[in-house]
Amino acid sequence: MNSIVRIAREEWRQWSRSKLTVLCLIVFSALLLFTTVLNTLELREAQHQRLHQQQQAEETFLNQPNRHPHRMVHYGHYVFRAPPPLAMFDSGVDAVTGQSMFLEGHRQNSAMFADARAQARTGGFGKLTPAKLYHLFLPLLIIALGHGVILREREARTLGPLLSQGVTGISLYQGKLVAMGALIGLLSLPALFSSVTSSFYGESFLTSLTLYVGNLLYLCIWAVLTLLVSITTRSRAVALGVLSTIWVLSVLVIPRIGVTSASANLPSEGKILTDMRMNEDLRKLGDGHNAADPAFAQFRVSLLSQYNVKSVEELPLNFRGMVASRSEAELTKTLNLYAEKRMQRELDQANHLSNFKWLSPYLAISGASRNLAGTDLETHHRFLREAESLRYDFVQGLNQAHIEKLSYLDDINRNKGEEGWKRARVDSDNWRVLKEFRFTPDPAMERVGRATPKLGALLIWLVVILGLGMITARRLKP
Amino acid sequence: MMRELKFMLHDKAVWVWCLLALTFSASAVVLGTIEVRQQHLEIAELQQLDQIERQVTLSKQSDWGSAAYYTFHLAFDPPSNFAYAALGQRDVSPWKHRIRMLALEGQIYETDANNPDFALIGRFDFVFVASLIAPLLVVLLLFDLRSGEHVAGRLNLIEASVGSTRKLWWQRSILRILALTTALCLPVVIGGLVAGTAPSTLALCVFAVFLYLIFWMAISLWLATANRTGSYNLTILLGVWLLFCVIVPATLTQVIDKTVPMIDGGEIVLTQREAVNDAWDLPKHATYAAFLVQHPEWREHTAWNDEDGFEWKWYYAFQQVGDQKVESRSLAYRQGQARRDELANWLGLISPATLLQRQLEALANTDVRSALEFDQQVRNFHADLRAWYYPKLFQAEKFDTEKAMSTIPKFAPSK
Repeated sequence: MNSIVRIAREEWRQWSRSKLTVLCLIVFSALLLFTTVLNTLELREAQHQRLHQQQQAEETFLNQPNRHPHRMVHYGHYVFRAPPPLAMFDSGVDAVTGQSMFLEGHRQNSAMFADARAQARTGGFGKLTPAKLYHLFLPLLIIALGHGVILREREARTLGPLLSQGVTGISLYQGKLVAMGALIGLLSLPALFSSVTSSFYGESFLTSLTLYVGNLLYLCIWAVLTLLVSITTRSRAVALGVLSTIWVLSVLVIPRIGVTSASANLPSEGKILTDMRMNEDLRKLGDGHNAADPAFAQFRVSLLSQYNVKSVEELPLNFRGMVASRSEAELTKTLNLYAEKRMQRELDQANHLSNFKWLSPYLAISGASRNLAGTDLETHHRFLREAESLRYDFVQGLNQAHIEKLSYLDDINRNKGEEGWKRARVDSDNWRVLKEFRFTPDPAMERVGRATPKLGALLIWLVVILGLGMITARRLKP
Repeated sequence: MMRELKFMLHDKAVWVWCLLALTFSASAVVLGTIEVRQQHLEIAELQQLDQIERQVTLSKQSDWGSAAYYTFHLAFDPPSNFAYAALGQRDVSPWKHRIRMLALEGQIYETDANNPDFALIGRFDFVFVASLIAPLLVVLLLFDLRSGEHVAGRLNLIEASVGSTRKLWWQRSILRILALTTALCLPVVIGGLVAGTAPSTLALCVFAVFLYLIFWMAISLWLATANRTGSYNLTILLGVWLLFCVIVPATLTQVIDKTVPMIDGGEIVLTQREAVNDAWDLPKHATYAAFLVQHPEWREHTAWNDEDGFEWKWYYAFQQVGDQKVESRSLAYRQGQARRDELANWLGLISPATLLQRQLEALANTDVRSALEFDQQVRNFHADLRAWYYPKLFQAEKFDTEKAMSTIPKFAPSK
């Protein structure tokens, strides 16, 4: 045990002597701190702004004057998604999807104004987030600092004396491992800061801690991999070359190949194409604006017999409203059918991509990180579903007012001059059917559950490489 | 020189890195070509569906107003014949729209988005390989060029055997860069011959990549000195890669986005919605007054039949007024995008990776400028549509399905 600590301490002393190492560490730490602070500030601002916009949208809706209820259906409403606290670490898909959405009758819109679209295009990897630094670039630092830890002893010809003095290969390995572990512990502090801070802002302790541990696990994989290469190669230059190639492949190449493979194996069609295909189905449903559409003939007959009257004018309820309500229900069924199909396809693609985690631990950690932060595809889908259910509820609520509060005669005579126009409206109290919308991330357990397979993959990666390292270390010869 | 060439051909490392470059580049070109083909297929299918849909819709109408309300039009921006190398902005900006005669500002910001997980990771296209991976290959090829000989103890012997040592290392590395450029660009050129790309475009692309690699070669030669260890050199060069390919571009994006703040896009659509919805309750003449500012030619045709509470011409007039209300904001939004792009063009001069990426995207018409041009094309088309419908609406022409089908404006991409 003592010798392990001694070896680790010696390694740190070596690092602190090298100007290059110190410089690397300082630059990286500064970058991590800077990005963490910047992202935290931006997140706070975005949260305030979205919440404010949401409240404003609700007020505007409720403050609309008395009018025809169907006009409010077309007036529509806006929903906004405030970023979850852990977005300060990993903003995930939020930057790509857009975070506001317009809800209106008869349509399901997509989220608008994704940040990524208006951003200046400067190549590279886009905006830096702490997650990007941890997942993409910190491995490079670990490689740069760690590739020589055992090779140095070999190249300086101190390996032989060390081994002959009774230091076993395994304790040498463990000593270097402790040194690397301490380095990683130091580098993980900004991530710890993000996870503690997000706990203050209402994030569950479980998810933020899991996120921190997941990142630690990922960095450990790179540490043991670096050690493994350091122990098996004969020259530092070769070790560094091998490690950088592994890095290029697992961080840059395989994920993008995975994306292409997923979209080639599980092709998805664009929204416009889906919409146009869906039109065929929608046409059969009839136009809810037109109560005389033949599609509603059957409905009319059944209503007349149900209320035992001869014409729609005699119905106790507004027939046009009933058509609007029924047609919205049928339409929404079709819209949801296609929307669910689309989301399922996206999930399948994401799962296909996620399978590449056995080739690249980067895919495991970046996926788990988004799951835990609540900025993943599943959360985005839930946003879409919740927005849709809000849309359907207020549209049908307005249709209900149309049915009950507006007489059929006033309704059909709405275009008869100024008078008719004025009579065909309902009280603005009816706008209260709109519910408040506050989007919150999934419960902690659910997010942890989604991340578990990926974290499990990371653990397996770690155990396998660690095992290989131990076996090699046991047989270490000068 | 011939001697150096022979040396290089015997160097296993050169073969390894060049083969890797060839593999990356070839897969990128193949994947890009597949993507471009899929986009062409999708456009073809959309055009066909669009045609059918318009016929079905128009055949059911009885007046010009409803025809305009129910008929959608497809607008699309086909990928250029060099897009396989640089898919660029096409992943985030819309390249297809489905629009109708209603206020355009409520329609043009819709994006037909891909799986967001994909957009997050990015594509494996040639631009990515050339601008971000190729520098790493240059570094791996050259970091040990001198220090390797130093370690092997041959350095003094080699440097003594030539007239100019500087010339020697330049020759040696130029040969390696040429080999790497060939490995990288061969697939692109073959892809270009298949796609029918203009030879000048391909030549410019090859030239740009070559210059870019020369830049990385110069840096490698400058920083990778002989009397440091190979791993020291490699670490330094990896750091430089990180600086030029990650930190500088990210900083530029931050700086540009802060320098040119943009209005919240949501404001545009919100204002437009208010304008259009309020119009229902406004006196008709107020709407017409605003409308006639841009269309004085219809001054004599805005008579209001009080018997009828609804007229299509009034409906479309207030749709247009809705667009007019947000015109300045919408313009500011687009100008903001253009301004950011222009700044990125200038500031990109300090970051070669940015420069190469932007150059190739410009060659492929997949840059921000092309996206903005497509946006303008859609706006022009919408204007044509209005110009075509207005006489029919304001002069109360009788609806004619045949005429509608044969003369309705069709979107034609400019390229």
